[in-house]
Amino acid sequence: MDLLTVEHVSKHFAQHTALDDVSLSIPQGSIYGLLGPNGAGKTTLIRIINRITAPDSGRVIFDGHEIAPADIFNIGYLPEERGLYKKMKVGEQALFFARLKGLSRREATVRLKEWFVRFGIQEWWNKKVEELSKGMAQKVQFIVTVLHEPRLLIFDEPFSGFDPINANLLKEEIMALRDKGATVIFSTHNMSSVEEICDNITLINKSHNILSGPVDEIRRRHGDNLFRIEYLGDEEALRRRLEGQCEVLADTGEEPGRYRTLKIHIADNDVRSVIAAVNDTVELRSFTEIIPGMNDIFIRAVNGSLK
Amino acid sequence: MSQIGIIIEREFNERVRKKSFIITTLLMPLLVVALMVAPSLVMIFATGDTRHVAVIDHSGVIAPSLESGSEVVFEPTDLSVDDARKNLTDIFGVLEIGPDILSNPNDVKLYTNTSSSMLVEDNIRSQIADIIEREKLKKYDIHNLPEILKEVETTVSIQTFRNDGEGDSEAQSSVISTGIGFVLGMVLYMFLIIYGGMVMQSVIEEKNSRVLEVMVSSVKPFDMMMGKILGVAAVAAVQVLIWGVLICGVSALAMPALIPSDIMQNVEAMQQGTLNMAQTDMDMDMLRAIGTATDFGYLATIFVWLLLFIIGGYLLYSALFAAIGSSVDSVQDAQQLQTPVMMPIIFSIIIMMTILNDPNSTLAVWCSYIPFTSPVVMMARIPSGVPVWQIVVSLAILYATFVAAVWFAAKIYRVGIFMYGKKPSFKELWKWVRYKY
Repeated sequence: MDLLTVEHVSKHFAQHTALDDVSLSIPQGSIYGLLGPNGAGKTTLIRIINRITAPDSGRVIFDGHEIAPADIFNIGYLPEERGLYKKMKVGEQALFFARLKGLSRREATVRLKEWFVRFGIQEWWNKKVEELSKGMAQKVQFIVTVLHEPRLLIFDEPFSGFDPINANLLKEEIMALRDKGATVIFSTHNMSSVEEICDNITLINKSHNILSGPVDEIRRRHGDNLFRIEYLGDEEALRRRLEGQCEVLADTGEEPGRYRTLKIHIADNDVRSVIAAVNDTVELRSFTEIIPGMNDIFIRAVNGSLK
Repeated sequence: MSQIGIIIEREFNERVRKKSFIITTLLMPLLVVALMVAPSLVMIFATGDTRHVAVIDHSGVIAPSLESGSEVVFEPTDLSVDDARKNLTDIFGVLEIGPDILSNPNDVKLYTNTSSSMLVEDNIRSQIADIIEREKLKKYDIHNLPEILKEVETTVSIQTFRNDGEGDSEAQSSVISTGIGFVLGMVLYMFLIIYGGMVMQSVIEEKNSRVLEVMVSSVKPFDMMMGKILGVAAVAAVQVLIWGVLICGVSALAMPALIPSDIMQNVEAMQQGTLNMAQTDMDMDMLRAIGTATDFGYLATIFVWLLLFIIGGYLLYSALFAAIGSSVDSVQDAQQLQTPVMMPIIFSIIIMMTILNDPNSTLAVWCSYIPFTSPVVMMARIPSGVPVWQIVVSLAILYATFVAAVWFAAKIYRVGIFMYGKKPSFKELWKWVRYKY
């Protein structure tokens, strides 16, 4: 079941095209990575989903119906460029944003107190925002984004400005929200976090959707049939044995744990016979496919060198 | 509560709770009163000095008749001019009167030790003129001359009645109403500039701090802009109401109690048209001024109009200021764009002086219909009496223009809040107005 579907959305501005016939589906209860280089059209797409701007053509389907004004109460959006009123007190400000998202004052107060306790920031309630550090303000903004328990959460570079400890805290909160049933759109340039938390991704480049699908599948699909063998035994014998069966690329050297490793390329996918051959010759400790990282895939996809 | 209501509430609370708001709201009426009282206080203290002037009268006619007063004391001397100038350095100066003063009244010289004073010169000039006049009249040998002179001396004061259509007329002091008109025009000018600027600055701040980016996903840009404009309008209204209550209260309640009761009786008699002019020795202008300043109905009516024009004028201008604020990144960048918006406000203040002198001239009437000048100009005219239908038409045009300005401003605002960096030209702003979303 898809919570959100974008169908053939195009958006043109005076000088350039921001989105050209972009379609994607976001499954309910998943974390969906929206990737792409700067200026690719991600922010425009997010603004269209948020109903900040309207597409020139195409439609956005939310929970089975064309997205309507009332749906913004079911969306929480943390923009990349974000700020708070500097002169306002933290608690009051959080209440203000929560009420704009349709919560009553009483309900918002109860939930805010809970979140403030969970993040250990109760004593900030009466502080002015200008007294907080950037990371502290980001925490408040995160709370404000998720407070009304929206079904769709959109985070644009949520980890910027966080130290590793708080970034991790945030990551866990995002995953917990997903586990509770929320659907998350996650836009970032940090590819390792994409590998860690995204279930699916779409890569937008030059206003087109150039790559979509589950993260694992994409990484596997773009693997180059490279494998790493960890073994104990005679390297020369192994090389001789594998001759003709696969291409030996490099001896990756002696690992600290006294195992030797070898990187190979198997052209015709006959993995089983290679494993058998290795097993015959040396003591096989592990045999792993080398899957490319999202970083690699991103760069190759944008360069146009992805097969 | 609707979103626009939540925004109005925030804008209002943030401003009204500020110390600066509370202080200005309470101190402003005091300042106005102080400004009104200050000139008379200055007069009282400035006349405290007594100047001594030595008089050398070559004609012998003037010196005996010069009367010393609290400001100037005349001291006839037999010294020559040179000696007097050399020796009498601790007095104000030396006055030398020529021998043929009666036929040559310009032969008067004043040597001063410090810079001269208008007050002293005026005193000397009018005394000498009077003495010469009297001396000349004496030549005609008229019997009973002093009695005749006293008999013909006359002062005229005019009682003004405004016909307000119901046959019911009341006396107003035109001096006071011109004064009130001036103050009201200035108040309007200040409100438009200060509150309009406040809206602009606050939009720029929200844009710069990227609060707008967060808000825009929950609130429509139009609601955001209107919420801000109306929230600040509520602040302005509260401020005017407080001032109105304070000033009306002080004028209508406190002043009659402070002014001696015999004066108030005369004021009341005059307002009812039963004052016997021959029987009072009071200054009619002063009576009328007091009458106007303590007329509660008159002041209250003016405050109602003031409120309507301040709100209308503010709404019109703040919409334009909001549009400008949304399209720039800093207050400095806003300066060029706000020039065309400021022009009509400054223009109305410039022509206000002309209009106060003749509140019903063609220029005045036209400028009180044009919505960009009407708030200041109409408020300057109202204390002198303007037909109600004119005020209503002027307000209708003002509020209609506000609606058009909001439509126009909202279009620029929508685009402007997402534009960072380069300061847009007027051509680009016009392009934004025609964008479709």
